Amino acid sequence: MLYIVLFFLLFSLLLYVLLGGADFGAGIVELFSSARNKEHTRDTIYRVMGPIWEANHIWLIIMLVILWVAFPAYFNLMIIYLHIPLSLVLLGITLRGVAFVFRHYDAVLDKSQFWYNWLFRIGSFVTPIFLGMSFGALIGGEIIITEDYETFGFYDLFMQHWLNIFALLVGLFYAALCAFLASTFLIGEADGKARKHYAKNSAFFTLVLVVLGVILISYGYFTGIKFAEDFIQNPVSLACVGLSGILLFPLWKFIKKEYRVASRYLAGFQVVLILFAALYAHFPYIIITAEEEISLLNNIAPESTISNLAIMLLIGGFVILPGLFHLMKSFNMIKVLEKPEKD
Amino acid sequence: MENLDYARLQMAFTLGFHIIFACIGMVMPFFMVVSHHKWLKTRNPIYKRLTMAWLKGVAIFFVTGAVSGTALSFELGMLWPEFMKHAGPIIGMPFSLEGAAFFVEAIALGFYLYGWDKLPEKFHWFTGIIIGVSGVASGILVVSANGWMNAPSGFEYINGEFTNIDPVAAFLNPAWFTQALHMTLAAFVATSFGVAGIHAFQIFRKRNVELHTKAFKIAIVFGAVAAFLQPISGDLSAKDVAERQPVKLAAMEAHYETQKGAPLYIGGIVDEENRTISHKIEIPKALSFLAFGDFDAEVKGLNDFPDDELPPVAIVHYAFQTMIGIGTLLMFAGLIYFISLRKKNWLQNKYYWLLFIVVAPLGFIAIEAGWIVTEVGRQPWIIHQIMRTEDAVTPMPGMKYSFFYYLFLYTVLAITVTWLMNRQIKSLNQEPEDEDKTT
Repeated sequence: MLYIVLFFLLFSLLLYVLLGGADFGAGIVELFSSARNKEHTRDTIYRVMGPIWEANHIWLIIMLVILWVAFPAYFNLMIIYLHIPLSLVLLGITLRGVAFVFRHYDAVLDKSQFWYNWLFRIGSFVTPIFLGMSFGALIGGEIIITEDYETFGFYDLFMQHWLNIFALLVGLFYAALCAFLASTFLIGEADGKARKHYAKNSAFFTLVLVVLGVILISYGYFTGIKFAEDFIQNPVSLACVGLSGILLFPLWKFIKKEYRVASRYLAGFQVVLILFAALYAHFPYIIITAEEEISLLNNIAPESTISNLAIMLLIGGFVILPGLFHLMKSFNMIKVLEKPEKD
Repeated sequence: MENLDYARLQMAFTLGFHIIFACIGMVMPFFMVVSHHKWLKTRNPIYKRLTMAWLKGVAIFFVTGAVSGTALSFELGMLWPEFMKHAGPIIGMPFSLEGAAFFVEAIALGFYLYGWDKLPEKFHWFTGIIIGVSGVASGILVVSANGWMNAPSGFEYINGEFTNIDPVAAFLNPAWFTQALHMTLAAFVATSFGVAGIHAFQIFRKRNVELHTKAFKIAIVFGAVAAFLQPISGDLSAKDVAERQPVKLAAMEAHYETQKGAPLYIGGIVDEENRTISHKIEIPKALSFLAFGDFDAEVKGLNDFPDDELPPVAIVHYAFQTMIGIGTLLMFAGLIYFISLRKKNWLQNKYYWLLFIVVAPLGFIAIEAGWIVTEVGRQPWIIHQIMRTEDAVTPMPGMKYSFFYYLFLYTVLAITVTWLMNRQIKSLNQEPEDEDKTT
């Protein structure tokens, strides 16, 4: 039963990174587009993302609930020490979410559109950075767990582990990942000039992603961050990252040949590989403090709770996944049969 | 003020905010599908217009409710980590189900919002029903978790450890049904009178009377019916509280002395220091009857509880009085609506509309008051008789800043949404030329 719960935890993490990530990324792509491109990017995003964006963010809540119910001790540490960055994430999720809806459902088109647009774009950029910083804080090996409030001040206990270069690099890396996903997904949604625009974007964000990835790992390695060291010494993780890098070549080919769906799946698969590599090197020790490594599986909930949760998740999965699939299919987000689009 | 006070204020504020948006998001889809159904049946374009207008409202409220709900799910952990650590394995079940229900709602909303002219008509309409049903289910599930805090069950508490956990028993705790019923009815009353009131205002100002009258009629029926059912549910809740949380009942009634054949106090001014209540109206023996179904039953007074287990009495008493008063008033408003079904000429009377304008916000005030009764009335416990609120709060200092941060966020949201709604309503009164664009 524990494995079912773990499966759903990782599954929702993956879908949040992929779908929520593409969602954030869409805003980043819009932010980094020229004024003229912003316009059509905005409309494309609405068309593609509109029906699904709310569902994309529910994966985060599912993840949170699973952590809370099944892994309460882990959740407890995470939520206490990430109080501030997660509050910033919430601000971002809230503002960009409402801005996205308001800019399409406001009955009057006027200057307020300006504010909705910029809130959406900036929020989409900043939120994944803070999310990444939160994750960076968990694995950065800087968290100090103590009740000695005399020696350690507020900054030591609640700030320094997420407000440092390593965490920031993780944040930027995740934002770049989001933008890479979104721009690759968007290519298939446009023609002519617009398509070229997204292709260019995709190439740009791929480059940023690769560079940031290299900087992140080498910075971590040379400053002696345990997570990075373990990552580099783990052959499976390295192989996954390597494979993900190699797969960029077929990806570019697919994009050129306008294989709309295949390129999406491939980009998604690359992200899966990166995520797997990151988690594999250290699973289940996903909090690394200054003193020790804390396992997700420490002090888990009693068996009765785990089985109950597993059953609920299975039932939920049987209801939600077909619905979600049907939703994506109805609005042409996925096609089972691959057909290159030619006008 | 201390860290704890700010944490409590922040929780109260965010919950108070979320509950309004959640209620509207839960109930408005039902108005929308009724109007949609009428459009499919009559093909009267006014119903289509109304459906689209309400749909936009639903979308805006859903997203606001969704993001404030997301924030809340984090906040619970951020503010009360000790509570969450122990409560999670016990009361996680309704939360995981709620996650699923919320997901279904988001998927259905995706279909409904973007499915106009793309999906088969009946299926499209049906997805609207799913939005409403899953919204109500979400609400019931969350309230069930709150019920557990009032009536903790599904575990054994031995030497400070929670053992023998039974998530199903915790989910079906003794308070879940009465609380969920009361809250669901309250959501229907408040939203229905709220929406009807907005349309009544437009009718009062003679703007697009035909459309707004149709809207008013659809919206008000739900509330008028629910307002009549609410006292029955309230009675169930009162008996439940009397049995399980006698101290809360005593605080609701500011009842200090233990008494057989206890009177019901209406209104009154509470003096917490001298432990008295003055200027109240007394109905002899009524409290004993309402709480226990027996005019001579003994009602335990606040003086017979330990001092460190008393909630703030005045706030709970005033909130309770407000809730009851508004409930009664709205029941009469519902009655007037039912009479007006026979006496059609009332619809021409401006005072008729004025009445519904005046009562429009009251349902929400009653909901807030009701939650104050539930939550403040449970203090100093976060889990009744098991864990104190002060032991659950985060060790992180500086909650003051956190409070102001969230206060800012939610205030901005509330102002924006109100402003947006105002624009929606105004656009309804203009000629429907741009309507085709959105469909």
